Amino acid sequence: MKNIIKLFILVPFLILTSCTDVIQIKLDEGSKIYVVDAFVNNLRSNQVIKVTTNANYFSNQETPGVSGASVILKDLTANKQYVFNYTSNGKYVFTLTPADTIAKTDHSYELNVTLDGVTYTSFAVQKRTAVIDSILVVQQEGSFGPAAKDTMYNCLLLARDKADNNPDYYWIKTFRNDTLAENPDELNVSIDGTGGIVNDPPSDTIYFTPPGTFLSFKSFHKYDKCKVEVHSVSKETYFFFIQAIAQINNGGLFATTPENVKTNIVTPDGAKTKAIGRFNMAGVATKTTLVQ
Amino acid sequence: MRFRVLLFLSFFVQRTFSQDKFSISGYVKDSKNGESLIGATVYKLGSSVGASANEYGFFSLTLPKGEHTIAVSLIGYATYTFAVNLDKNITKNYELAEEGKQLDEIVVTGEAEDKNIKSTEMGTTKLDIKQISKIPAMFGEVDIVRAIQLLPGVTTVGEGASGFNVRGGNIDQNLILLDEAPVYNSSHLFGFFSVFNPDAVKDVKLIKGGIPSQYGGRVSSILDIRMKEGNSKKFAVNGGLGTVFSRLSIEGPIIKDKMSFIIAGRRSYIDALVKPFVKKTNPIKDAQFYFYDLTAKINYRINAKNTVFASSYFGRDVFGAVAFKFNWGNATATLRWNHIFNNKLFMNVSGFYSNYKYFLGFKLPQLNQKFEWTSNVINYSVKPDFTYFLNTKNTLRFGAQALLYDFLPYDAIGQFAEGSSVKFKSEKRYGVEYSAYIGNEHKIRPRLTFEYGLRVSLYNYIGKGTAYYYRDTIPNEPKPLDSTHHFSNGQPIKQYINPEPRFSMNYVINSESSIKASYNRMAQYLQLISNTAASTPLDVYTIASNNLKPLIADQGSVGYFRNFKDNTYETSVEVYYKYLQNQLDYVDNADLFINERVEGQLIQGLGRAYGAEFYVKKNKGKIKGWISYTLSKTERLVRGISNDNWFFSRYDRTHCLNTSLNYDISKRWNISTNFVFLSGTPASFPNSKIQIQNYNIPYNTDNIRNNYRITPYHRLDLGATYTFKKNETRRYKQTLVFSVYNAYNRRNAFSIYFQAKNGEPNQTEAVRFSVIGSIVPAITYNFNF
Repeated sequence: MKNIIKLFILVPFLILTSCTDVIQIKLDEGSKIYVVDAFVNNLRSNQVIKVTTNANYFSNQETPGVSGASVILKDLTANKQYVFNYTSNGKYVFTLTPADTIAKTDHSYELNVTLDGVTYTSFAVQKRTAVIDSILVVQQEGSFGPAAKDTMYNCLLLARDKADNNPDYYWIKTFRNDTLAENPDELNVSIDGTGGIVNDPPSDTIYFTPPGTFLSFKSFHKYDKCKVEVHSVSKETYFFFIQAIAQINNGGLFATTPENVKTNIVTPDGAKTKAIGRFNMAGVATKTTLVQ
Repeated sequence: MRFRVLLFLSFFVQRTFSQDKFSISGYVKDSKNGESLIGATVYKLGSSVGASANEYGFFSLTLPKGEHTIAVSLIGYATYTFAVNLDKNITKNYELAEEGKQLDEIVVTGEAEDKNIKSTEMGTTKLDIKQISKIPAMFGEVDIVRAIQLLPGVTTVGEGASGFNVRGGNIDQNLILLDEAPVYNSSHLFGFFSVFNPDAVKDVKLIKGGIPSQYGGRVSSILDIRMKEGNSKKFAVNGGLGTVFSRLSIEGPIIKDKMSFIIAGRRSYIDALVKPFVKKTNPIKDAQFYFYDLTAKINYRINAKNTVFASSYFGRDVFGAVAFKFNWGNATATLRWNHIFNNKLFMNVSGFYSNYKYFLGFKLPQLNQKFEWTSNVINYSVKPDFTYFLNTKNTLRFGAQALLYDFLPYDAIGQFAEGSSVKFKSEKRYGVEYSAYIGNEHKIRPRLTFEYGLRVSLYNYIGKGTAYYYRDTIPNEPKPLDSTHHFSNGQPIKQYINPEPRFSMNYVINSESSIKASYNRMAQYLQLISNTAASTPLDVYTIASNNLKPLIADQGSVGYFRNFKDNTYETSVEVYYKYLQNQLDYVDNADLFINERVEGQLIQGLGRAYGAEFYVKKNKGKIKGWISYTLSKTERLVRGISNDNWFFSRYDRTHCLNTSLNYDISKRWNISTNFVFLSGTPASFPNSKIQIQNYNIPYNTDNIRNNYRITPYHRLDLGATYTFKKNETRRYKQTLVFSVYNAYNRRNAFSIYFQAKNGEPNQTEAVRFSVIGSIVPAITYNFNF
């Protein structure tokens, strides 16, 4: 939401005078750190945790994977543990049995990633997710968006938040014909449907209808398949996304001071190499519709 | 309080009640238009005994009984001399004629020309509007704020950045006064133009150091802008047609020599000019973006002892299209009363109102969505100020001020689907600042002058409203809310009191050189919340509270001033050191927009700035202008940021070289040039990237803020003014101003940022963002009659 506001402010100004060009500059090489990318959910697909390292900013390749780690996820509530096995490119996979999923609402989890005898830990609680009522297909009209000969559509998500006095945080992933809209400007995170205008609302009685009315800023064509996943995330993960997006495209006149994204991976004292990253346990609500 | 002031006054009155001395007092005015002349010097010829006219043009000079030759002088004006037999107090107004326009008067080299040597002022630059108008300007428009950015010690983050930075101070640390009322945003169209209409401005004074006790409320500088009073002799019209905007001003007498007015307006038409270049399908096709301002003033001389003034400014910037609308602007109103109690005691009482307001809204009608946001800062103030010309050795300045801050952080409404609108309205917040001051300009010996003073400010953060109390947490994390407490109307929540000593001295070595030193402490009770590279017009101010301490700055400076060749060249070297406490910074990922707990996300830290400023100015001859060079460093220390080490502030520039010259080729042609070279500003660059959920995120493993510098900034501007031959039968005067901004087409980086390409997430790149990417030529046509 705030990015939309920012965009509106910048557009008229930028066309007047400014210009941008890609330049070559030399950056220092940072010391090695481990990066843990652990977004586990209750979907019936194999669960993947990635362990990589940082890379030169301009490397233009995937960051290098780290093999040889022991990756264990513990369900502290159910007193169970799940071992993730290395496949390739830093990916550690847990293959689901048909009967069960790892992730359960309100359970507490601990993640242990052990490398060279050092165990990096993180904790998460899985929050409930929203209830999706429907996806409404709205025909585009008026002056907003690129004009085209064939009519374009927006998908509008109608979903309900479970009201109580705790705010809920969501990450809404949109797929067009099974392709995830994953450009930085397509990221859609939401708190209780207020769209992140108030980051810390006192209660969550607000009806959950994300302002990300456009599930993706890219429009849909007729007969496209539109799929939505609403992932529950922790407050910290919500802010992690906000912060990460602000860092990924932080340009222009009103760029903010660059920051390092926050981590919830704990490096024990005395470890030679630091680990950072994000661990989140999500409940997912999903719905698919055909645009017509 | 009032009683004490009276007591104090009577003390001085008694002490000087001897009749072997008399005084000459009055206003000094311009003979052509009746404008009072600020800073004119009145002195006994052949001696060092003299007095300066204050900001209202009033002076008083006390001399022994007997015959004297008195001179009244000011740079740019012919000195007026007269003989007087002083056997009683004399009150009279004196008029000066512009240089080169006098008739048969005797021209004596005026003392005013070496004022920079003799006065205690340091770190102070006075620019008159004639001088400013000869500087080649962007789009050919005379601009006060852009002119002062060419002075030593003054920088900006870059083109398009609102405001200016003085000696390592943030943009909110400049007290910008338009006829005594504070102006919160000095910029139109982001930073390209300032809000001051040059046609309505008489005098501009920038004080960077040695700030006298009558000023307070901001810690880094005072930009004191005085509006014209309006021609009291005849009607005059000034105007101009420019590339970006047009302006028009009308001034004239309502009652000759008693009552006059000026009204001046400007409006831009960039929107109309840009329209043909915007594609039809572009949603901003129907965009409106323009700014306008209106300045008006009226004055009435009731009698020789009383004059009243009313002045007002109103301006707005508007940006909008179908889907959004965005506007901001200042409105100020000042009422002033000048009263002469007797030939030694002068009073000015000002009351002002200032309102800085912004609005942002957007809507998507087809989806029934809208969002509207507004915020404002209102000030009300009363300020009596006295100048007491005690004797030839002491000029006292004392007064008081009461200032109310009435501040609305935000009032927003969002409608995201039919029937579900969400309101976010913060409570208003109030603060009252009382201050009292006294200062004395004391000529201790003919060569040694001290100016010392004390200002005491008392600030109360008051209800009605809710005070938030936060628990401490680890640095650089938002502070968790502990409790809230509601306060009723006027109830004090938190109080701060700050004594602010001021001192400056001048030791005159000889008629051509002097040494000066100064120290001042300043307190500031409101700060701008902005964590962006350039301050956005959406940035809100916040006032000191139970969570935010007032900003305090101590500054010391020493300077050597020397003039050459009969005051043709003015040179100076000044060094300064400034130490700031409670400067605002922000926790990582701070959310500053519509957040009632914003104070929990602010951190206060230390700042320090030091540097040396070199200045050479040529005042006479065909070539006039100045060269300035500043070597400086500005740093901050904030707990939890940059590993708890000092880091460069965003506006630190090691080297700053500014050249501004103009040359009178003939009566018709004047050419001018600026050359600017500035070190690149610091920036935080990543030293690696990390990948999480396929997002390539820049990361700095050393966690040092502002670890790099962007490329240096340099620019050349050229200007030429052609004055049309004057028609003898008419008063009509016309000029054409040609200007080329950024003449050698330098693409100066405003910032360098890093991005992942859309669609190719692994493709990361560095991007140079330039606000001005080309040569900007312009023609402006000016007229006056």
